[in-house]
Amino acid sequence: MKSASKSNKNKETIRIRQRRRGWLTFVRMCRYGINNFSRNAWLTIAATAVMSVTLIIVFITLSARQVLVDTVSNVSKRADMSIYLKGDTPEKTIKTIKSRIEKLDNVDSVKYISAEEAREKQAEQYKDNPDTLEAIRESSNEMSATLRVSVKELNDQQSLNNFVKTDDLYKKYKDPNREPSFSGERQQAIKTVGSWVRLASIGGSIATVVFVVISSLVVFNTIRMAIFNRKDEIEMMKLIGAERSFIRGPFIVEAIMYGFIAAIIATVVGYGLLILAHDPMVKYGIPIDNLLNHLKMYGVLVFLSMILVGAAIGVTSSWVATRKYLKL
Amino acid sequence: MILLDRVTKNYGKSNKPALNRASIHVGAGEFVIIVGTSGAGKSTLLKLLTREEKPSSGKIVVGGIDYDNLKDKHIPLLRRKIGVVFQDFKLLPNRTVFENVAFALEIAGMTNREIKATVPKVIELVGLKGKEKHFPHQLSGGERQRVAIARAVVRQPKILIADEPTGNLDPKHSWDIVRLLEKINKYGTTVILTTHNVEIVNKLKRRVITIDHGKITSDQARGSYKQ
Repeated sequence: MKSASKSNKNKETIRIRQRRRGWLTFVRMCRYGINNFSRNAWLTIAATAVMSVTLIIVFITLSARQVLVDTVSNVSKRADMSIYLKGDTPEKTIKTIKSRIEKLDNVDSVKYISAEEAREKQAEQYKDNPDTLEAIRESSNEMSATLRVSVKELNDQQSLNNFVKTDDLYKKYKDPNREPSFSGERQQAIKTVGSWVRLASIGGSIATVVFVVISSLVVFNTIRMAIFNRKDEIEMMKLIGAERSFIRGPFIVEAIMYGFIAAIIATVVGYGLLILAHDPMVKYGIPIDNLLNHLKMYGVLVFLSMILVGAAIGVTSSWVATRKYLKL
Repeated sequence: MILLDRVTKNYGKSNKPALNRASIHVGAGEFVIIVGTSGAGKSTLLKLLTREEKPSSGKIVVGGIDYDNLKDKHIPLLRRKIGVVFQDFKLLPNRTVFENVAFALEIAGMTNREIKATVPKVIELVGLKGKEKHFPHQLSGGERQRVAIARAVVRQPKILIADEPTGNLDPKHSWDIVRLLEKINKYGTTVILTTHNVEIVNKLKRRVITIDHGKITSDQARGSYKQ
């Protein structure tokens, strides 16, 4: 009984010692990393500069992609995808048709504009022209009830086309004088806009990936060269019995520090560039406010993400670069 | 302490082995000088002892550890039991004398208190007291080699391997280093020294093993060397 208790105590002591040793090793790795960072001034400046440029490219590329997405979204929303019903269609029927359209795959939302509202809008357009306004007011309302459809994918009109061809309720109440805006000659125009939107989205995504990959490779190469210059140090550490993790640790801490400082620089510079670009971009009708609002709202998150991206690139690069020299 | 039994090392597909059926036995506390021309196989022999290289055939046992049974994860532990000194010092350039010596203890997980108690004594032993805060580039070649020796012996290894430690030094500093190695040997550490220096070999009058084209051609108890 006594011996079992003694054995348990010994095991506990060994465990505590191992934990303390692990902690001590971790603190030492961090200290070495910080020392390397502060004592290799030129290397630190060069690596941090390269990583800052990389993160600025990542920041700008992602921002540009967001601006592109906003632009595409604007264009998609502006595409007139409307279905016209007779002016005297009962409200209940309109609601039924609206809910049927809302259930279609590609439909994002449906907005109902009554004939009365349409007439008001028309009147609003001609408010500076009293004669026309008078004529509109005096004539009977020839406007249709409109269901304006917002689609998820501009190129995919299949479900809407099927609906207008097959839905009996719609066919019964459709305005005989006005075909849906996405059929006939307009269909081709919408399709053309849709293909451009699609091309821009794909192009933007590819450009983002290409820029991020190239930038990451540049950082990887810089860190690889830095570690190559210190391969003798690694060799020596190995020969005097340092564990792989103890050799690798300081390089990783150093890379995290590059990432941290580069993230601060890149966030400040990137954000500054966007503010500078705001007025000229708005002048050309490019929607940038949404992006800036998001950046303001999630500023801390963006900054933390930048640190995470910088550190991840640094850690991966130094991990891969040291692996070559750590073979026993 | 060290046993090599018919050890052969081939690099790649070369027909000429770098080390050819070499058999050596070195007892505890011995001072052994290994001589030979460049490319004779001295460095290969040392690399086999520090387990930088694996033999193509033969058996190696160091300090009771049979290398055939040594797992990769235990290699760092083996190397902590062997002190190594190199011709080009291999110091950490961005760390002070104290930090370079302390590094050998830190990797072994010694506490800061133990390190602060041990390192100054070893720095004093190698004659560098007062230079603890100097960086390697602020020291002469001889002083750098002393730091390397301090780092190698601070863990009190049973074996010290010195690979041409005087190769980059002038005669005065070379002798300082050799005297230091003798001092360490007197404390009971087995020393394996490789050198080209005829004068040092002949004046030391220690055991001399000669290697030529990968083969051990002579093993004299109080040997000499002619180039």
